[in-house]
Parts: sequence; structure tokens; C-alpha cells
Amino acid sequence: MQRDGSTLWDCASARAKAFALIAAVALGVFATLLIAAGKDPLKAYLDTLTYVFGNAYGFSELLVRMIPLMLTAVAAAAPARIGLINVGAEGQLYMGAWLATAGALALSNQPAFVLLPLLTVLGFVGGGVWALIAGALRALKLVNETISTLLLNYIAPLIVSYSIFGPWRSPESSSYPQSPAFAEAARLPTFFHSRVHLGVVFALVCLILYWLVMTRTRFGLEMRAIGGNPEAARRLGIPTIRYILIVMFAAGGAAGLAGMAEVAAIQGRLVAELSPGYGFIGFLVAWLAGTSASGIVTMSFLFALISSVGDILQITQGVPYAVVNILMAVILFVVLGRRPVGRAAR
Amino acid sequence: MNSALIVGVVASSIMSGTSLLYATLGEIFGERAGIVNLGLEGVMLIGAAGGFAATAMTGSPYLGIAAAALAGAAINLIFAYVVIARHANQLAAGLSLMFFGIGLSALIGRPFVGTLIAGLPRLSVPGLDPDGIGARLVSYDALVYLGAPVALFAWWLVFRTRWGLGLRTVGESPAAAFAAGLNPQRLQYQALTLAGALGGVAGAHISVALTLTWAEGMTAGRGFIAIALVIFAKWNPLWAIAGALLFGGAEGLQLQLQAAGADVSPFIMNMTPYLLTLLVLIAWGWSRGSAAPAALGRNFVGVE
Amino acid sequence: MIRSMIAAVAGAMLLALLAVGPAAAQDKPPLIVGAIYVGSVNDYGYNRSMKDGLEEMKKNIPGLKLIEAENVPETAESERVMEGMIQQGAKLIFATSFGHQQFAFNLAKTHPDVYFEHAGGWMQAPNFGNFFGATQAAWYPMGVAAGKMTKTNTLGFVVGVPIGYAIGNVNAFEMGAHSVNPKVETRVVVTGGWSDKAKEAAAANALIDQGADVVTMHVDSPATIIQAAESHGKYSIGFQSIEARQLAPKGWLTGLGFTWGPFMTDTAKSVIAGTFKPAMVREGLGQMMAIAPFGPSVPGDVEKLVTASADKVEKGFNPFTGPVTDNTGAVKIAAGESWGGDKMGNFDWYVEGVIGKAK
Repeated sequence: MQRDGSTLWDCASARAKAFALIAAVALGVFATLLIAAGKDPLKAYLDTLTYVFGNAYGFSELLVRMIPLMLTAVAAAAPARIGLINVGAEGQLYMGAWLATAGALALSNQPAFVLLPLLTVLGFVGGGVWALIAGALRALKLVNETISTLLLNYIAPLIVSYSIFGPWRSPESSSYPQSPAFAEAARLPTFFHSRVHLGVVFALVCLILYWLVMTRTRFGLEMRAIGGNPEAARRLGIPTIRYILIVMFAAGGAAGLAGMAEVAAIQGRLVAELSPGYGFIGFLVAWLAGTSASGIVTMSFLFALISSVGDILQITQGVPYAVVNILMAVILFVVLGRRPVGRAAR
Repeated sequence: MNSALIVGVVASSIMSGTSLLYATLGEIFGERAGIVNLGLEGVMLIGAAGGFAATAMTGSPYLGIAAAALAGAAINLIFAYVVIARHANQLAAGLSLMFFGIGLSALIGRPFVGTLIAGLPRLSVPGLDPDGIGARLVSYDALVYLGAPVALFAWWLVFRTRWGLGLRTVGESPAAAFAAGLNPQRLQYQALTLAGALGGVAGAHISVALTLTWAEGMTAGRGFIAIALVIFAKWNPLWAIAGALLFGGAEGLQLQLQAAGADVSPFIMNMTPYLLTLLVLIAWGWSRGSAAPAALGRNFVGVE
Repeated sequence: MIRSMIAAVAGAMLLALLAVGPAAAQDKPPLIVGAIYVGSVNDYGYNRSMKDGLEEMKKNIPGLKLIEAENVPETAESERVMEGMIQQGAKLIFATSFGHQQFAFNLAKTHPDVYFEHAGGWMQAPNFGNFFGATQAAWYPMGVAAGKMTKTNTLGFVVGVPIGYAIGNVNAFEMGAHSVNPKVETRVVVTGGWSDKAKEAAAANALIDQGADVVTMHVDSPATIIQAAESHGKYSIGFQSIEARQLAPKGWLTGLGFTWGPFMTDTAKSVIAGTFKPAMVREGLGQMMAIAPFGPSVPGDVEKLVTASADKVEKGFNPFTGPVTDNTGAVKIAAGESWGGDKMGNFDWYVEGVIGKAK
């Protein structure tokens, strides 16, 4: 039930219409740019649809892309509920990957039923602690979390690079900077011969937990109180500091799981380039979704679909993949431009 | 410690620091008006690609830099419109601008990858022209020489003119500015136009002066370093000079040390700008003094 | 909302299938080849050399269709791109950058009817082969050129990523230079990535500051470094593609380039004929590598020396024959021993005369 009393269906169909309009405008603008560059946008769009919906691989890759987006979106959405801004999911992802790698390398001869849960925990903790740094600084009223998470974003990949160029450098023949490959037991299982991996379970669990906590627990209620009016919440005796710390840790943990999934499932080892901006896209997903759990799923799907357009353009028409960022940005600008005062800054 | 090393470090600080300086100055204008632009990276990329393309097409690096300034300003105006007129969330809008810049610069730059251009020429100070090592210290391109003067001009604009006073008032409290008869929105637009132009020039320096190439994503995070630099410089253009030298130096220092035979981890060195900024921020937080414009970002800075 | 979305999508899908269907009935090329590049082909360097080789292959096999993708990162993304090419009918995939290996290998397992050639790695499978130039020995004549032309006895070498093969290149370079000029030293600067233009420019400047008057490199694209050297009036030696000489009209000495064309043509022909054999192919000067033309400042006698040295290498000369000492004084290759092609990735030490740390 929305605040003004309208039902979910009213809102949903209004949102769907609004969305269709936004999509049309964005696709149109992007198409114009492509035509100006001498390419064929209609073919690209149609190719994408066939690829994603008519093709098992294409669809599975869509899911593979959605997994880290859903996790980093939760990482941004949960703190937003108490009025905190976490743009650090990128760094938290890297630190989750890093700590999970430490575990995988140290205990490489353990069986899977020991390693996998351990790596999951390590991934969560790695990201969680990284976010906790920013959370603590904010709770102690030292540094605003937006800035600190942003700065920490850049330190984390450097820690990863340092490790794979140094202590964790793979001794394999040409000593390319990457960690040794994870043992089979440390690899997340995949489904149906595709690359869709157990991370999809992590993402769903995180989303469900997020939704449950926010809507069904007292913790969530108090979180929303803090988010709505921090001063009042404090006066009511809600221990704000504790909430800040817990929520930031959990948020960072979700992003950390995304990192762990990247190294344990997709890459199979720690490498320097883990994320093509999942952290930032996740932030935008969360923002577009209005921090609702179902919205996060839908928006992750949308952004993964946009990425597929990029794939198709690159393979079939020789357009650099990076160009797809324009489509993403245009959608965002249209959405941003549609909302004058009212849908207030969050 | 040989003199070649010292000269080399100073020279490379100045070279790498210049683009950081311009980007930081631009961001200072915007933030002084109360607007945070996380999309600075995108603006710089547009400047780099646009400047490179224009130089390749016209044969004149100066025209290229001018084109970069225009392109940067134009792109930033999209951001400005969305944030000022439509009251959009600044962070989301900024990140969107970043992605837009990444994509558009790739599209613009693609036909020009590998093109050879006449880069911004290095001008020696006449009369001051020693051979050998010292030569590196006194021959830079025009943008480098203009760096400090532009920063001084920016300082004067912000702190010594009525326009600057208006700008700062808007950044502290748009309501107060409005009550005083100013037009907050117009001031913000002006600030962001300037910011966009400076960001574009910053990007163009890398492609047209430093490397003489274009490659996707070539600014490599410098936009975010600049955002950190703004805080480090306490939103003051003069401090931005020192900060840019320091951060630019950190980048070049480890390469210079390697060439001199010392062993330094490049990654540790690259962390230093961010760590430094974080430490500085903690120190300020401790002493409870934030020099940030009070209305910056609305919900952005301002420890609650 | 979900329902209307699904309906819209299903409709679009139907439309798409109708549109795509007829287009599929066209002339069948003898082979569709897919190639992924880690950077842009206009880089005067590694990617350009791969592109040139593929174009030669295309010319030699009329009707062959080539699908390419540039700027494919060395991450899981590359798997997606290669799979896309396979779905478009590619039966031979060239994964041209080292970091693409694992992902190409994954696809080789799931697509036993598609053949893969990877550049620079070591993995093998019935449908997966590996190829690269045997670069190390070829650097020896480059060192000879540098050693003769330097006036400051300091050479500069920019390395992207300090893998064993790159370190081997530096070693052979210094050894070649040392053979004609015992006082010469090579300074090494590592940028940490195969393609970071700003760092490469700064690295070249740093080396020149430290006195280097001949600069060379092992990075993806020599362009930035050569241009930096040229702007300071220093000599440069190129690597990856001999086209790079266009960048330094005055300072270009010589360079090494890859000539992948014949190998790629043979491989494509073998796939068409059904006789593909996976192998670990490493060919050097005269086969997969060539020496670039000399620049205007190189005198005739130096040219002769370098050419003679290159001939020696082509005929089998191996500079890594003991005794070889590293730059800390330890003997790394004992007298009577020699390091062959299989050991070229194992370098984690620099020879005497190189200033730098390999580990």
C-alpha cells in the first residue's frame, strides 16, 4: 500500500506506462546516435531480443550479469533506508573477493563442503568490514560516508593488485599477475551447463532477507524511523550508532558476496579487473528501484538487458561495447529529468 | 638521491598535476555553488576524446583544447539541467553523467584511435634554456604554464568578486541567497558551465599534450582523484595547486624511483592520494571544522 | 506490469524471428573466423600486428569471413564475446591476448567442433592450440643496435607487466648491447599494465631523465613511448609492429614486429581441410618475427652488424647459454647449460647490466 492509499496494481500499471515511455525515449535517442555513427539500431535491438530470449546462452548470461547487480543494489539500498549513502559497493566487492581468495589459497586442500561455506562467510566479512570502516567514521561523526565509501572504492582494487603482483602471484609459467587458480572444491557450482552459479541464490537470499527485515521486523521499523527523522529517532531512544554499524556491515557484506561470486564462480581466481562498475550500476539500480526489493530485481534485469545490447553491438556491428553506457545514461537522465520536486533526493 | 631524480619527480608532478588541477578547479566552482558532480570523470573523458578528435580534424591543438572546453561545458549542462531545474538527486545524476561520458567518448574517439596528431607544443621560457637535465624543468606546454594563473584567477573570482560572493552564498544557503535578491539557479548554471569547460580542458591535456593518443577510459580515475582533491584543498583554488602537485607527484614518483633503481610498490604509492585525503578528513572531523559549503549536495556533506 | 512486459517481449521476439529468418539464407563462406583483441587495432603495436596477420589470412583464403571485436577485456566478458561469435557461425577463434586464455579454454571444452588458437599461453586441448613469437632471442640484435648507437651508455626499457617472457626480452636486449658495448646499462621501469598511456609517457620521461638515450618497450602499443622519446630527441626501438616506425621519423633505429600471417593462413586452411592439430607453436626471427627497416640515423656499419646478429639468431644462436650472471652477481645459468624455449617464461631475474628488480 503506498502512502497516498493507492493500491499496488494502480501504481504498477502507472509505473509500467511511465517506464514504457522512458524506454521509448531512451531507445530513440540512442538509436539516433547510432544512426549518426552509421550503424543499424533496429537490427541491434532485434538481435538483442532474439539473443536474450531465443537463446539459452543469451538468457543465461543475462542472469549471470544480474547477480552482482542485485547484490550491489542491496548494498546501496539498505543504508539508504536509514539515510546513509553507500557508493562504495565497488570497493566492498573487491574486498570480499580478496578475503575469499585468502581463504581459498590458504585452505586449498579442503573439501567443497568446508570451503564453500567458508568462502561465502569470508566474502561477506571482507565486504562488510570495508563498509564498516566508512560506517564507523560516520557513526563517530568524523567523515561523511559518501566521501569515505568513495575513497575506499579506489583503495580496494589497489590492495587486490598489490596482492596478485606480490604475495599471491601465481607461479605458473609466465607469472601473469593473477592468483593461482582456485581448487575445484573452491569453485561455486553452476547450473545447467551455463555460467549461472550459486551466486544467484546469494542474491535472492539477500533480497528476501532485505525485504523481510524492512517490512516485517522491528529492526526494519526502527531503521525506517531513523531514515525518516534521525533526530526524532534518537530522542526515542533508538541506538542510531548501532544501526549505522550493523546496516553498513550487512550492506558491505552483500557487495562482498558479489565479489566472492566473481572470483569463485566466474573467474576462478583473483584478477586485477573484477568489476566493470557493478558497484556504481548497483547504486543506480537501487535508486531507480526506489530501494524496493522487487524493483531491484526488475531494474537489475533491465540493466543486464542493456548490457546485452552492448554485446550484440560489439559482435555484430563493430561498435565499442563502452557505447552502451550511453543508453544506460540516457535512461537515467530521462528518469532524473522527469521528477521535479516531490520524489525528493534520496 | 640524484639530482636527475629530483628534477624528474618535480617535472612529472607538474605534468601529471596539471590536468588534475584544472579538473579540481572546475569541481570547486560547482561545489562552492552547492553541487557535487561525481560525473567529472565522464566530463574529462569527453574533453579528452573531443579535444583529440578536434585536433586531428583541424590540425591545431589549440583549437582542440577549445573544442574540449566547449564539449565539457555542453555535457555538464545536461547534468546541470537535471540537477538544478529538475531537482534530481546529485549523486545519481553525477554517476549517470559518468557513464554517459564513458560511452560518448568511446563513440567520438573511435574513428580517431591511432591517428597521429600535432600535440600541444612545449614552449621553453626564452632566455632560460639550460641544456641537459634542467631543460626538462623549463619546457612545458601552454596549459601547464597557465595552470597556476588560472588557479589564481579562480581564487580571485571566488573570494574577491561579488559573483564569487553570490556563488558562495548559494552554496551555503540557497534560501538566503534568494532572499538577498540573487538568482541561485543562474549562478549554479554559470558555475557548472565553468566547471564543465575546465573539466574538458583537463581531459584534453592528457590526450593532446601528455600522451598524444586517445584510448577508451584513458583518464583512469583521475576524475575521482580530483573530487578527493577538492576536499583535500578545502574548496580553495590556491590549495588545489599544492594538492595537484602532490597527487600528480605520487603518480610519477614511483616511476621515477624505478628508473633510478629503487624498489617501490606502485600500488602502495597509488593508494597514497586516497589514504592521505581520508586521513585529512578524519583529522578535520576530529577538530570539528568542516570547510565544506553547508548546502553541498543536500544530504551529502554535513555530518549529521 | 510483468504480464504486459512479457507480452511485449514475446511480440518483439516473434517479429525478430520473422525478420532474421530470411536473412540466414545467404552464400556460405568457406570459414568464419572470429578474433578478439584486447585493445584497439590502431595501436601501432600488438593488436595491429594481429590485425595485419588476420587480414593476410583473409586475403589468402577467398571468401573467408572475419568477425572481430576490439577492446575485449581479459575478463569473463571475453567468454561472452567469443560465444557470441561462435553463435554467429565462427569455427575458428583467435584469442589474441594472454588473459583471454582461460575463457577461450572454457569454450573449447563446451564447443568441441570449434577450434581455438590462443596467443602467448600454454594450455592445450584437441581443439585448442597455442602460438607466439619466440621473442627473447630476437631482442639480442635489438640490443646490438642500441649498444652501438647510444652515446650515454644508458638504455631505457619500459615493461608493462613483469612476466617471465618480458624479463627475458630485457635480458636478451642487454646482452646484445653488452656484446658490442661492455659499458652499457639498461634501466627498467614497470608501468603495471599492458596499456596505460599516461604511465607509459611518464615512464619514458623518467628513463630519459635518468640518462637513457635509446628507449624501447614491451607494452601493447609502442606509440606513446616512441612519441615521448621522439619529442625529447632520443632514439627509439619499436616492438610488436614494424608500422611503429612511422611515429619517429628521426629517432627510429629499428624494431621487432610479428608476422602472424603465414601461421594464421595455415591454421585456417587446416580447419577447412579438417586437419587441425593442436600444438604449442613458438617461432622466431624469419618465421613469426621480422626486423623492421632501419631509421635514417643508423649508419651502414651498424646496420650490417645488426643484420648479421639477426642472421645468427635465425640460425639458432641462443644468447641464454651459460655462464650467465644476474645483476646481484649470482650465476643463474651455469657454464655448459643453456635455457631453451620452454624456459623463457621462467625468468625472475635480470642479467648483469640491467638496473631493476624483477621480483
